[in-house]
Amino acid sequence: MKGLTAAMLLIGASALSACSSLGGEGYGISDYAAVNVHRVTVGNGNMSVVPPRPWNRHRAILFEDIPAVEDWTLNGELLDGITYITGLKSGHFMVRQRHSADQQVPKFRADMTPPEIAAMLESLYRVRGGAVDFHTLSIQPRPFLGANGFQFDYEHLDNDELWRKGRVVGAVIGDQLYLIMFDAARSHYYDAALPDFEAIVASARLRA
Amino acid sequence: MCARCLELTRRSLLVGGGVAAAALHTGIADARIRPQDMVPLVGPGFKPTDVDEQGLWHDMARVEEEIADSNLLIQDPKITSYLRDLIGTVGGPAAKDFRIYLMRIPDFNAVMFPTGFAVVFSGLLLRMRNEAQLAGVIAHESGHFLRRHEIRSWRDQRRKTDLFSIGAMLAGLGGAGAGVYLGDYVQLAQLGTILSLFKYSREMEAEADAMGVKLIAQAGYDPMEMSTVWQQLIGEEQASAVYRGKHRHHGSLFDTHPSDDARMADLKADALELKVPGKLYNDYRDRYLATIGPIRPMLLDDQVKLNDPGASEYLIETLAQDGWNGLLRFYEGEVWRLRNRLAFNDEARAAQSYAAAVVYPDAPADAWRWHGIFLLKQGRTAEAKAALSKYLTMKPDAPDAPWVRQTIG
Repeated sequence: MKGLTAAMLLIGASALSACSSLGGEGYGISDYAAVNVHRVTVGNGNMSVVPPRPWNRHRAILFEDIPAVEDWTLNGELLDGITYITGLKSGHFMVRQRHSADQQVPKFRADMTPPEIAAMLESLYRVRGGAVDFHTLSIQPRPFLGANGFQFDYEHLDNDELWRKGRVVGAVIGDQLYLIMFDAARSHYYDAALPDFEAIVASARLRA
Repeated sequence: MCARCLELTRRSLLVGGGVAAAALHTGIADARIRPQDMVPLVGPGFKPTDVDEQGLWHDMARVEEEIADSNLLIQDPKITSYLRDLIGTVGGPAAKDFRIYLMRIPDFNAVMFPTGFAVVFSGLLLRMRNEAQLAGVIAHESGHFLRRHEIRSWRDQRRKTDLFSIGAMLAGLGGAGAGVYLGDYVQLAQLGTILSLFKYSREMEAEADAMGVKLIAQAGYDPMEMSTVWQQLIGEEQASAVYRGKHRHHGSLFDTHPSDDARMADLKADALELKVPGKLYNDYRDRYLATIGPIRPMLLDDQVKLNDPGASEYLIETLAQDGWNGLLRFYEGEVWRLRNRLAFNDEARAAQSYAAAVVYPDAPADAWRWHGIFLLKQGRTAEAKAALSKYLTMKPDAPDAPWVRQTIG
C-alpha cells in the first residue's frame, strides 16, 4: 500500500517525513531491502513466493503498516509495484486510516464476492491513490493457491496525470483475503514486469 | 483527499481558498457590500501594464497551456461549449475574454486564474441542480477577475514572502520535495500551491459574492440561486463531518473569511435587492440536464466511490429533490454497499436500493448487476440469475462477463 501513498505524497511538499526519516539520503539505512531469487515469505508469513529476478522489498513501518500487507518494487514505487495481502481477516481494512477521515477504503468482509473485492480495491485507488478515472478491464475466475480465486484487470488515471495499469489475482481462503496485486505505469513498465508477476503468482504457496 | 491537493478540497470554495493565513486585516467593514456598488475594474480586452503583473501573466500563460493539454481535462464538445456560453453570459465586460476548462476532479470547486481563465472541477457539475446555480458559481469566479482580486492577493503574498515568480517558488518546492523539479506547473500538487497564492480576503469574497449576484441577475437568472448553492455546500460539509463525528470548521476571529451564516444572510439580502417582483424566473434545469446528463453517471461514480457516505448521501438526496430515478436509487445503494457497516444493516439497505432502482426504466446496467449479486448473497438464486442475465443483455461486453457467466452457470 505504500506504493499508493508514496506515489501520492512524493511530489507533495509536506508529509515526506515517513520516507525521509528512514534515510534514503546516504545514511546507510534504506527504505528497501533486496529480495533475491529464492523462496521468501511475504506479509505476515502466511504465504511464500519465488521472484524470477531480484526485486526490492519495502521495509515495514511500525504502526503505519498492516502486518498482512507487503510492498515490492522493481524501478521505484511511482513506476511499478507488487503488493501482497496474506490473510487479511474479515472486518479489517487493507490500510491504516483514521476513523475521522472523510473518505475511507471499505472494510474487507469474508462473504465478499469478487466484484465486491474489486470495488473495494477501486476505492483504495481513488481514496488513497488519487485516481480520478478508473476502468475495470476484466473480472474473471482464476484458481489461486489451490482455491477458486479470481483475476481483476484495471487501469487508472491518477492525479499526477499518469495512466497506470494493474492486475490482481486473489482468493478468499478460510475467511481471509489473499491477494497479489501488480500495478505499474501503463506505458512500458506494466508489460515489462508482467511476466515477473505471473511467475510470482504461479510460485505462490500457503504456509503448510 | 491527499496532501498534494490540500487547497483543492471543496472547503476551498466554501471558505475561499484555505484558512492558513490568519492575517489580522484591520478596517474591514462588517457592513454588507452591496451589489450596486460592485463596478467591474477591468473592461473588454484587458491587458496588464504593470511590470509585475505582466510577469505574472507570462507565468500564467504557461500554466494555462499545460491545463489545456492536461490528461485530466474533460473535452466533451457539447459540455465545453455550454460552459463557454455560460461564462459568456455572466462574465460582465470580460465575457468575451474568458476561457473555461473542465477538469475531472471529484470535488466541489471552480477557480479563476489572474489572466482570465477559469477551471471548473467536474465535482461542481454533479452538485448543481440547474443552470442558474452553475451560473451563480461561475459569476462569483468572474467577479474575482473583474474586481482584480488575483493580482491584489498576489501582491499581498509577495509582500509577505520573498517569492518573485511562480516558477522560482515551484523550483524550490520541487527541489525540497521530490528532489527533482520536473517543470510541470499543473500537476495537481503544484496547482494547489499556485492556488494558495491567491487566497482571497474576507472582503474579496464578499465582493465576489455581490458582483456574482449582480451578474446573474443581469443575465436574467434568479439572484436567490446563489444563496441556495451556498446552502447546499454548507449542508454537504456538515453531513460529511457529522458522519465522521467531527465538527465542521466555523468562521472564527482569526478566520479571514466571512462566517457561513453571515455570508448566507448577505447573499439573501443581495438577492432581495435585485429580484424583480412578480417575475417568473426560469432556472433552465432542462437545458442543464440535457447537457450534463450523459456524464452524470460518471460524476456520481467518481463521488460515491470515494466512500464519503455523509457527503454522498446528502448529495444524492439533494439531487433527488427534483425527483428520484433509477440512477439516483442505484447510487444510493452504492453508498450503503461501500459504507458496509454491520450496525447499520448496510447490506440490507443496499439490496433494497438496488431492488428499487431496477424498477425505474432508466436503471443503469450496473443496477441490475448489483441487484443480482445481492440476491445471490441472500440465497435467492433463481432471481439472481434473472437479474444477472438482464445485466448481460444490457451490457453484453461487460468486463466481468466471464465471472458472471460462470456464476450463473
